[in-house]
Amino acid sequence: MNGVGLAWKKFTRDRLAFVGFLIILALVLAALFAPVLAPYPDDTFLIHPAQRLQPPSAEHLLGTDSMGRDILSRLLFGTRVTLVIAGIAVGASLLIGVPLGLLAGYFENIFSEGIMRVADIFLSIPQVILAIFLAQSFRPSIRSVILALSITYWPWFTRIVYAETRALKKRAFLEATEAVGAGSIRTILLHVLPNVSSSIIVRSSIGMGFTILTAATLGFLGVGAQPPTPEWGVTIAESRQFLPDAWWYATFPGLAIFIVVMGFNMLGDGLRDILDPRIRRGFD
Amino acid sequence: MEERGPSGKNSGKGFTRRDFIKTVGIGSLAISGLPFRPSGVQAADSTRYIWGGPSEFQSMDPHAIYDVTSENLRLNLYDHLYRYLDNPPKIHPWLAESYTVSDDERTWTFQLRKGAKFHNGDEVTAEAVKYSMERLLALGKGASALFKPVIDPEGIKVADRYTIAFNLKEPYAPFLSIMPTFCIVNPKVLEGKPGPWGSEWLSQNDAGSGAYVLEEYTPGVGWKGKRFKDHWMGWEGKHVDAIEFRTIHETASRVMALMKGDVHGCDGYLPVEQIAKLEKADDITVYEEQSMRVCLIRMHNQRPPFNDVHVRRAISYAFDYDSFNNEILKGRVARNPGPIPNNMWGAPADLKGYSFDLEKAKAELAKAAVKVDRPLNIHPMTGYSQTDDAALILQAGLRQIGVEVNIIRETWPTLSGKAKAMDTSPDMWIHWVSTYYADPENWIGEMYSSSRWGAWKASSWYKNPEVDALLDKARTISDHATRKDLYEKASRIVVDDAADIWIYNTKWYGPHRKSVKNLRFCPVGDGQECRWIHLA
Amino acid sequence: MNRSLIVYILKRMAYAVPTILGLLVLVFVISRVIPSDPAALVAGEMATPQQVEELRKQYRFDEPLHVQLGLYLKSLAQGDMGKSLYTGRKVFDDIVDRFPATLELTLVAMGLSIIIGVPLGILAALRRNSLLDHLLRGVTVAGLAIASFWLGIMLQLFFSMWLGFMPLGGRIGSGVEPPASITGMLLVDSILTLNGPALWSSFVHMILPALTLAFASFATITRFTRSGVLDVVQQDFITYVRAMGLPPRVIVYKYVLRNAIIATVTQIGLLFGLLLAGTVVIETVFDWPGLGLYAFNAIVLSDYQAILGVTLWAGIAYVTVNLLVDIGLSLIDPRKAET
Repeated sequence: MNGVGLAWKKFTRDRLAFVGFLIILALVLAALFAPVLAPYPDDTFLIHPAQRLQPPSAEHLLGTDSMGRDILSRLLFGTRVTLVIAGIAVGASLLIGVPLGLLAGYFENIFSEGIMRVADIFLSIPQVILAIFLAQSFRPSIRSVILALSITYWPWFTRIVYAETRALKKRAFLEATEAVGAGSIRTILLHVLPNVSSSIIVRSSIGMGFTILTAATLGFLGVGAQPPTPEWGVTIAESRQFLPDAWWYATFPGLAIFIVVMGFNMLGDGLRDILDPRIRRGFD
Repeated sequence: MEERGPSGKNSGKGFTRRDFIKTVGIGSLAISGLPFRPSGVQAADSTRYIWGGPSEFQSMDPHAIYDVTSENLRLNLYDHLYRYLDNPPKIHPWLAESYTVSDDERTWTFQLRKGAKFHNGDEVTAEAVKYSMERLLALGKGASALFKPVIDPEGIKVADRYTIAFNLKEPYAPFLSIMPTFCIVNPKVLEGKPGPWGSEWLSQNDAGSGAYVLEEYTPGVGWKGKRFKDHWMGWEGKHVDAIEFRTIHETASRVMALMKGDVHGCDGYLPVEQIAKLEKADDITVYEEQSMRVCLIRMHNQRPPFNDVHVRRAISYAFDYDSFNNEILKGRVARNPGPIPNNMWGAPADLKGYSFDLEKAKAELAKAAVKVDRPLNIHPMTGYSQTDDAALILQAGLRQIGVEVNIIRETWPTLSGKAKAMDTSPDMWIHWVSTYYADPENWIGEMYSSSRWGAWKASSWYKNPEVDALLDKARTISDHATRKDLYEKASRIVVDDAADIWIYNTKWYGPHRKSVKNLRFCPVGDGQECRWIHLA
Repeated sequence: MNRSLIVYILKRMAYAVPTILGLLVLVFVISRVIPSDPAALVAGEMATPQQVEELRKQYRFDEPLHVQLGLYLKSLAQGDMGKSLYTGRKVFDDIVDRFPATLELTLVAMGLSIIIGVPLGILAALRRNSLLDHLLRGVTVAGLAIASFWLGIMLQLFFSMWLGFMPLGGRIGSGVEPPASITGMLLVDSILTLNGPALWSSFVHMILPALTLAFASFATITRFTRSGVLDVVQQDFITYVRAMGLPPRVIVYKYVLRNAIIATVTQIGLLFGLLLAGTVVIETVFDWPGLGLYAFNAIVLSDYQAILGVTLWAGIAYVTVNLLVDIGLSLIDPRKAET
């Protein structure tokens, strides 16, 4: 059995990670096929005040909101908003953070010190608060939320890549490559990067979970997404004044957030087990 | 509830007396279903009346703000020369005992009652009234917009200690009716205080003569007052010794606070479902009164594309009035197609106005010279869920004729502040115009005269010389029948011009605990005058 | 206290200074470079163009950045963070006023998560792969996935609205007189002034917000304690000690507990950051009049100076707490100082 097959077998055996993988798969499929899956796909922009605040029923499995819109359909479309925001934000942080981490880790000069110091400074302000501040400086919109999240998350990638690169450096083989005459950039790209990639992948998965929570928090606080965008945090904020009677309005979006973030966390944990069991558990 | 030792561990000493008390205590807490309060709200506070509302109090200065939220401080901490009471509103002498007006409607003379005291013991004199009017005009905020066009400081004359005369710039028939918006402050208290006319000091303090004295003001949280024993009206019967007005932004929190008894009353700007729930609650009464308060969506008539009447008409046809009034508000309001409430004179009885008709909307849009090439912004108000609903309904309707709408929620102080200048004034925003005084001038006069630009009521920036002429004339004539005609005519033109989108005229809903007795509602002031009530 | 320890402490403090300076500069850069018109943002939505111009001159927004930076640092040193649009007072005063409420909530939440998390983490490590361990693993993974504002709302829904025996929000019942203000923390003040009703009322109002806030950090603490203990348990010296015949209880108490505490203290810094961030939503949900609610109102009103102030304060507090934790750790375990 080859390496991939072995990894797959290990993967499916780790039930937690496999469940996580399935959840993420479901999320992606829901986002892709929302128009088909949603019973009322037009409820992202149509309103039906006559069906306002109806409890879960056969016609509306998760009930309706204050404008009579089907909550299930809006949740399904919300997966798109969620994936876009978190995906771009984590992707951007990766693109910023990984190269910086590689450079800081590989070279041992004043720039490495500088990069890590800057990372520390960014990390000195709790992420949600910094994200709020950034978003308010930009002018609140979904775009500014994505920007704010990217700017606050890159240090995590940098830190982990830095630590891994330094650990690698301690091992002899890097010195050997250098002795052979390979240039620094070559060495970084061909030898260091593949070895830190597993950490990056794990970090990305956990980062997705974390970013989705932060994005929902920002939506709840009213920073970023505006009506009628079916963002989950915004929906929960809307629902508050109709409690406790319209309990479904607040409950289901929160469950959606929970399931999705759980999925990414479980996947991250599982990937960590498979890709590099030596990475300490609980090191976040 | 299981009987279990508080820590769950068996210390081996057996069930001690302390354990017993703790267990029973915690157990009964759960069983009784009530939060344990050593002294229940009713018992300890039978003399403090607490009211919760959604908006913050920006300032305690009665000359600085002029909105429904601040009515409670103007009515309770301060007095006016005349005041409205009851429904339908009747004007009563208050600090003044009587008035006379010259034949040309230009000189109004008021006789003050003797012996009325300010909170610090000073007597209320004509000098104080003069100072107050000068202050109101000089600060240029709040209700000054009502008085600036008609009176200059030079026109205020103190005839003797208790007589004051106002010589108006031109005849103004509604002058008496606007008197209840003008508060009397004590000049001696403001002397030497920081800010122009002591305004920085007065924003957090009290210089009034009203039935209650300001005890404590916390910005963003609320204010507290205690009964002024030497108030000129005296105190007969039962009263509340202390009052408190609190800001509770979240609707659910306000409703819960009322149901738990944490507050004795709250506003009626709640979602209809919450009002229905409160009506069913055992210890709550939801007072319902015929009122005069119009809900409308404003449009910035001077800013493209709203400067084209066809665009405005198209938007007017794109709002689903029936859906909003009957489904969201469950029919608790009445469709009001024009700016004056239907139950006020001056509103034409046969006015049809606009209805939800997408075909007509599209047709109007096609006729427009100014193209709609950008998304339109609509600003609902934080804490007022109806405005969110209205914005969503308009957005949905306009989408169907190809017009995009952005929804930007802001607070009332922000929006009413922005609405003062043409540049910062919103594209569209949603608010109510309540009865500040019982005259059509309160609505159509203040909203659609171009001379009133700069006040939040006039934030449609509407200018029509024909309407200006009609409204100016109606102000200066005192013959009721002629005024009625003029206002009706003006209404028809304004509606034809689709200056704004008028949605409904509402009843007043005042959810209060049953323990609140003798609430005296007047559309002016929204039932927030506290001197009449007592707690059972 | 030996010399190398003192050196370490001084070094560590010295390290914190540039970090704090750095975050001050970062906030400055964000506030001046990103917005298209910093003066308009600070003046607020209600300002007239005239007022914006006045503000621009007052804050000297037109001058070169390094000059502005100097002015900014100077005014911060004097405690001037500008004026809040929302309250009309100085932002610094607002923050000082509201700080005790948030501090109280954060401390109680941290205490809760430690009291619950550490013992559970130890148990889970000692009984590795048992049912308890798996259950805890599940709960902690869940704890990290729940949106805290949603959890707060659900608890409110269940305990306050449906069951009716928890207050919906606020710090103290509206019928109860708050205790005389000594520290600003109601629980402490009630105890100090022997005010029974106030103590009970503040306690009851604290329960749901503190539990909600504690939930996510409890998950983290449990995980880290567990891995910290696992580390120790797997080390050779434990086998050696066991072989020497010391009873297991001694091992647990002496070595495991000590390492667990060290692992926990290490996490307090991180935890504090999480809790700080959490207070913004928890205070909003439970109407808790602290810095988090202040930040939320500032968002609603676009009160830029206030948000800037809270951001600065949060960063400085976080760095300070981490500094104190590191110093504290080095005192508990001087070996750390030598790494």
